[in-house]
Amino acid sequence: MPTPTSAESGKEKTVTKVPTGSTGTEATPTTEHTLGARGLGLGYGERRIVQDLDVDLPPGRFTVIVGPNACGKSTLLRALARLLNPTAGTVLLDGRDIHATPTRQVAATLGVLPQTPVAPESITVADLVGRGRHPRQGFFRRWTTADSEAVTAAMLATDVLDLTDRSVDELSGGQRQRVWIAVALAQETEILLLDEPTTYLDISHQLDVLDLLTDLNRERGVTLAVVLHDLNLACRYADHLIAMKDGRILAEGAPSEIVTESLVHEIFGLRSTVIPDPASQTPMVVPLGRHHVPGTAADVTGAAHDATGTAHH
Amino acid sequence: MSGTNTRTGTPTSLLDRAASAPVDAVARVNRLHRRRRTRFALVCAALALVAAAALTLSLAVGDIYVPPTDVWAVLTGGGDPGSRFIVHELREPRGLLALAVGCCFGLSGAVFQALLRNPLASPDIIGVSSGASTTAVLASMLFGLSGLALSGGALVGALVAGTLTYLLAWRGGVSGGRFVLIGVGVGTGLVSVRSYLMTRADVTEAQNAFLWLTGSLNGGRSWNQLWPLLGCVALLVPLTLLASRGLPALQLGDEAAGGLGVRVERGRLALLACATALVGVATAAAGPIGFVAFVCPPVARRLLPGHGAALLPSALTGAALTCLADFTAQHILPGTQLPVGVVTSVVGAPYLLWLLSRTNRAGRGG
Repeated sequence: MPTPTSAESGKEKTVTKVPTGSTGTEATPTTEHTLGARGLGLGYGERRIVQDLDVDLPPGRFTVIVGPNACGKSTLLRALARLLNPTAGTVLLDGRDIHATPTRQVAATLGVLPQTPVAPESITVADLVGRGRHPRQGFFRRWTTADSEAVTAAMLATDVLDLTDRSVDELSGGQRQRVWIAVALAQETEILLLDEPTTYLDISHQLDVLDLLTDLNRERGVTLAVVLHDLNLACRYADHLIAMKDGRILAEGAPSEIVTESLVHEIFGLRSTVIPDPASQTPMVVPLGRHHVPGTAADVTGAAHDATGTAHH
Repeated sequence: MSGTNTRTGTPTSLLDRAASAPVDAVARVNRLHRRRRTRFALVCAALALVAAAALTLSLAVGDIYVPPTDVWAVLTGGGDPGSRFIVHELREPRGLLALAVGCCFGLSGAVFQALLRNPLASPDIIGVSSGASTTAVLASMLFGLSGLALSGGALVGALVAGTLTYLLAWRGGVSGGRFVLIGVGVGTGLVSVRSYLMTRADVTEAQNAFLWLTGSLNGGRSWNQLWPLLGCVALLVPLTLLASRGLPALQLGDEAAGGLGVRVERGRLALLACATALVGVATAAAGPIGFVAFVCPPVARRLLPGHGAALLPSALTGAALTCLADFTAQHILPGTQLPVGVVTSVVGAPYLLWLLSRTNRAGRGG
């Protein structure tokens, strides 16, 4: 049973799709779907957000998209999920224009968790997760045991099985987010796009979500694209990092190869020190603001304060 | 599976546990689904029974009392000529009209509220009913139309008001809150047009129009008037239920629905069109009976908590409620027949106030 220790997570470049012994009955995907875009232009009304962008999500990898607010990362994700019509260029799923493919057919391959989904009033967890089966159900096809199995597996993986008949209204933010991820899992797709799935979660739940996604990626070969705000978690969990600014991709590749102090400055306009993450050896960005950093111009008075207060460095 | 609280810090993969999804957990989810289906069927059956009882009551009671056994005999094709005339010719058109109209309002309200995710989004509040009634008043006063032509006018009015609201609310898509606000605006405009027309009318005309505007099943109702309505109901109700296939996904928000393979705008447009047509048809037949579309969906949802939109139960609730309200309107004051809209308003207005006060407190709302 592959039980990666935290030290190797994020570094491993070979996608492990080991049929995990007796338990891993559904661990090996048969095909690898590809998702990318050519000459993509995106915008809302008059406002152009992305222009002439080419991107490919490496199949079977964990891709994380980072960038400052309003850089177009969520817009890009929505376009890749065919939720937004491009103003130019095409989004390609398995080499075909995604908008030329029936949307139900796309939904069997590609799942998406948007930033702010809405839970109908007083809906139960089981019912909500069950709605992830929508693309799998035909006009008159009733609920089957296969649906129950997928829903149960999704709830178990996200640790919400105990909440099955609870109302979603009563759940905490962390529980609710895990339920939404279960909805996406119940769809059983081989590509999964998530827009800031860790927002509103405390640090421990953030790690839970990212660990779960890594499990999905490694054991089922699910191709992931996730928009994240936390650079350090992005560096730790991503196989492939896409750094965006002003609707363009400034750099992409393995975090250890692309994340440097100058890149961080270029993207966020922020001075920083990049050191190896003591736990994972991936790049860790230590931001430098104006205060609490001895030697910066603005912190002449603060330096003295630091010397007595927080001088651990 | 000793417990799921060992989540944090465990080195084992969560998927390992999921892959060995315990059979009893699957069985439990299966059972939950079966139980939901059973409960849905039971509630629907119970509501249908209430509606049937209300119909029987309205067929039995009147100037001449016909015992329920005789009513059933007539309904099943038997009965003596006397009770057959009273039940079949005099009372049944009105009773069936109440059921059909209530069913339309209940279903339409449930679609609007679920689709726009707003309990205030009922056709009598967002201007669709006003559209129907304004064109009906216009048609009868300016063009002297009546009967089927008048009904057609009301239907067109509902569709025009609905389309206008949709177009004004459109901004690369339609959101619930904006639709409700613009719908209220469109409704207010139409009501003022209607009021102006009423001030220009002579007294008897105005009185007739006013009676119609309150929503009334009074007056000689015959089978000939009923058939067009029943035809529309037989067409629109299945069409609406068919269009509602994407509704469970649409309720999760546009993006989630799109991700689940629903054609969001097309699905929403189809549902709005169906719901608007239902209101138009019902309003054309009986006037804008207030609050039925507004009150029935929450009652149905209360009966089936966590079942989503509950379209069919809401339609049945509407049928039962309208039939009972009409019965009350006919018999509560001896010697007078009230318009049914008065009774439904007595039920609906307090609910609207309660909902508004509660909505404000929770900081939500249109």
